[in-house]
Amino acid sequence: MTMTQEKQPITTNSAVPFPSTAIAADAARDDAGIAKEDAAWTDRPEPAAGPAPITVETPSPEPQDTAEPAAGRTPKMRADRVSVFYGDKQALKDVSIEVHDDRVTAFIGPSGCGKSTFLRCLNRMNDTIAGARVAGQIELDGHDINAPDMDVVQLRARVGMVFQKPNPFPKSIYENVAYGPRIHGLAQGKSELDGIVEKSLRRAGLWDEVKDRLQESGTALSGGQQQRLCIARAIAVDPEVILMDEPCSALDPIATAKIEELIHELRGRYAIAIVTHNMQQAARVSQRTAFFHLGELIEYNRTSDIFTNPREQRTQDYITGRYG
Amino acid sequence: MNSVALTRWSGEDAQRRVAKRYAAERRFKLLGLLAVGISVAFLVFLLATMLVRGVGGLSATFLAGSDSTDPAMAGVWGALKGSFLTILVTIGLAFPVGVLSAVYLEEFAPRNRWTDLIEVSINNLAAVPSIIFGLLGLAVFLNVLHLPRSAPLVGGLTLALMTMPVIVIAGRNAIKSVPPSIRDAALGVGASKMQVVFHHVLPLALPGILTGTIIGMARALGETAPLLMIGMRAFIAAPPQGISDPATVLPVQIFLWSDEVSRGFVEKTSAAIIVLLVFMLLMNGLAIYLRNRFERRW
Repeated sequence: MTMTQEKQPITTNSAVPFPSTAIAADAARDDAGIAKEDAAWTDRPEPAAGPAPITVETPSPEPQDTAEPAAGRTPKMRADRVSVFYGDKQALKDVSIEVHDDRVTAFIGPSGCGKSTFLRCLNRMNDTIAGARVAGQIELDGHDINAPDMDVVQLRARVGMVFQKPNPFPKSIYENVAYGPRIHGLAQGKSELDGIVEKSLRRAGLWDEVKDRLQESGTALSGGQQQRLCIARAIAVDPEVILMDEPCSALDPIATAKIEELIHELRGRYAIAIVTHNMQQAARVSQRTAFFHLGELIEYNRTSDIFTNPREQRTQDYITGRYG
Repeated sequence: MNSVALTRWSGEDAQRRVAKRYAAERRFKLLGLLAVGISVAFLVFLLATMLVRGVGGLSATFLAGSDSTDPAMAGVWGALKGSFLTILVTIGLAFPVGVLSAVYLEEFAPRNRWTDLIEVSINNLAAVPSIIFGLLGLAVFLNVLHLPRSAPLVGGLTLALMTMPVIVIAGRNAIKSVPPSIRDAALGVGASKMQVVFHHVLPLALPGILTGTIIGMARALGETAPLLMIGMRAFIAAPPQGISDPATVLPVQIFLWSDEVSRGFVEKTSAAIIVLLVFMLLMNGLAIYLRNRFERRW
């Protein structure tokens, strides 16, 4: 169950009582626009009536998503009973989850709970780990991403990724952003490529800081700038989904705030899934939160419900800092 | 509490403990200095002896001439050219094959029993005495393939066999030291495996690969035994015109001259050693230059 990707201990000061009222208000604002559709798809064929949150602790044998078309909203990505094995060890057990367009989905949980592993399944980055095996079904727009006809290179262009540690290429800022469009042949000439680079840097909120030094090395930027450069690099290939694996864990609070602001701005354009150790961050940036523990998905619900009214005792314990 | 702290961190006892620690540090520094001193002393001794004995032998005729039975007429140009041609063949063969092997083994090959076996074999091959490669060259290149005897071509092929494992090992280490985060970053924007390797991993590993290659080349340059086996010890009075002409190389020339009875060759031997050392110094300098030139931080 131990995972090498997540070495850092949780630094959240979760002993402090959580400002639940503020979050509720925040969540209410966030959810205001999408409340209607929410109501439509939240009320799954669960036994409980009303605003029953979905808990996917032990998935029922019949797929839950058969009733989905009736709800009128297809998720961007859907994972169905996904399990991941590293050799003999099972890192993830039967996780079923959906990631929606223009919504931020946060994955929280203690170290080694499988949240990063799950995120890496969504663009098949686990393929690169020797001995990793993924079972279950993951769909992007209804297509199985593990199907033989799915090109993994194209999948990763459509499902971009931002990593825990800022990892710009040791090349110029311009080259960092231009690399993706260039290898995918997205630009017809220099001016079009310039345009893509500028647009991506603008969207990542970095343009004004670097526009005069595009030829300088990307590794010379500060940590926060590097991470925004990585976000610019990811959005330069015009993905549909952006996966963020603890994008702020190596950054200071100010840089973190900037990234969070950026996530808010990007929300309307891309489906975003973010792994975070920081519960306040999950509460601030996401509309949906999934709580993982020991490789299992314990609870998946609206962020406001997870933080103010969790269904599961384990979720309650985790968000109040009783373990983690 | 206060009094305990006082007795523990002041007074004679504390001073003695601190002094003991400093003494240990001084002893270690001295030991290190001694170790460095030994190797430097030998180097200085070698250089000084060679310079004293050989500097008189360095003349225009010596640098431009070839081997001769008359020490006054003997020169290193033929051997230098032979060395150069041999190294050219070696690098032309060992570098591409070695780098491609390293890339394949590190990035593409599955990890299983067979690749483990290959890895062990390569490490073993790097430690095989060079005389055995000489015998292999004699058996395969001369007796089976009937390539020209004493030629830089055969010498280069033999030395390439010997250098390849060194390049593979250095290349694999250099590739391994490229941070995985760079691979993740490239894969994350949808680069294929090939693109990851050729756009990112290989350029970043290049300084390490080049350093390893040049160290391997310097070793090949100083190699004598395998070349004796394939006939490069013959007396060659004319510099080679191509890689299939009979030739000799610097270390073999030094070996041959050191065996001469005539007193005049003592000076020539030392002079040839100076030339060889300068050649090697240039190669190692090139290695350092290339490493600094291509080194990037991330």
